[in-house]
Amino acid sequence: MALGELERAVMAQLWAAPGPLTVREVHDRLDRELAYTTVMTVLGRLAKKGVVRQERDGKAYRYAAASTREQLAASLMLDALGDVGEDRTAALVAFVDRVGPEEAAALRAALQAAPAPAGPPEVPQPRVDGEQSGPES
Amino acid sequence: MASVWLAVLALVLAGPVPSALARARWPQRVPRAAIVLWQAIALAAVLAAVGSALAAPEELLRALGPEQRRGTAMVVAVAVAAVLAGLIVLRLLGVLVLLAVRTRRRRARHRDMVDLLDRAERSALVGGAGAKTVLRVLDGAVPFAYCVPGRAPRVVVTEAALDTLDDDELRAVLAHEQAHLDARHDLVREGFVALHQAFPVLVRSRQARDAVGLLLEMLADDAGRARCSDAAMAGALEAFLATGDTEVGARLERVRARRCGGRALATGTYLAAAAVVVVPTVGVVIPWLSVALPAAGVLR
Repeated sequence: MALGELERAVMAQLWAAPGPLTVREVHDRLDRELAYTTVMTVLGRLAKKGVVRQERDGKAYRYAAASTREQLAASLMLDALGDVGEDRTAALVAFVDRVGPEEAAALRAALQAAPAPAGPPEVPQPRVDGEQSGPES
Repeated sequence: MASVWLAVLALVLAGPVPSALARARWPQRVPRAAIVLWQAIALAAVLAAVGSALAAPEELLRALGPEQRRGTAMVVAVAVAAVLAGLIVLRLLGVLVLLAVRTRRRRARHRDMVDLLDRAERSALVGGAGAKTVLRVLDGAVPFAYCVPGRAPRVVVTEAALDTLDDDELRAVLAHEQAHLDARHDLVREGFVALHQAFPVLVRSRQARDAVGLLLEMLADDAGRARCSDAAMAGALEAFLATGDTEVGARLERVRARRCGGRALATGTYLAAAAVVVVPTVGVVIPWLSVALPAAGVLR
């Protein structure tokens, strides 16, 4: 299976889960013929991209989506809109449309107000900011 | 006089000309030719500024008298000219490279995220019929469609867009985005963004960038109209018409009015584009070189 598709499947599990999952739990939920280490690698890649948060739980690591699906989608659309500063983005995309201020405000609201990923209350995390791929359990 | 003429030309091409062209309505009838004209004007303005910097010290020296033409004074004059001209060119190239690197990095990340978020069950339905480019569907309540150009391009639409558009309109939208990708409109746009970043004040680089951006959209609209129909493209634009948006409004009005064509207008515009670059070269630069090079001892 293509790596991209696998990453998408893993993210889908993390988004659907009530809380952070261990590699084993993700592996079991995927319901496919996959090696445990493959799942681990994929989670590591996703953590490196910053879309997955890694937290220590005793001896094992648990993984959770860094933001909800809605937040990520909203942030992408804002990115595409060039909301973060006009020139940075201009060449990124070409639109059929350019959403108006009201729509942009709605997107920003979605970004901020969307419920945090379900799970234990937010403990301030040391930021896993891409560089760190994390020790794999 | 060459440096003065070139300086005047550079100022005119950087100020009043872009202002007037950005206000004019006729370029919307021939977007492709108009974009070429914009590019020619930008190129000619940069060349004129560089040429002016190169010519100025040499002409000054020549005005001073024959005994000062040779020796160290000439070397210094040429060096000063080269540094000035080099600054303009290097600034532009530096900005261009930085912008290219940043843009590609952001695009790669954007593409990654879009791939992760794709509602595969919906994109599979839409993308099936001979789509050239990978389609991604995002969930979201705002109708939205755009493309991420590059070596592995993506066309992205939101579920709201799929729900709002009918089949014809959707095909028009996809044809619009595909036109952007096929013709690499992003590269054209990037050039003008770089020009604006390099020279943000004093020159009308913002007008140029925005006008070219709109013309590129109109060019892609024409692809959508050709592929589907005027009605489909207009319907799609209507669905995307957001509150207080003037740009989509202008495009919608243009599609509705079927404002386009005019072979004579297009030809005239292309000729103007060629003239903007060629005439100053033949009229000013070559006469200057024919005097300056022998004076500098290059040609005898």
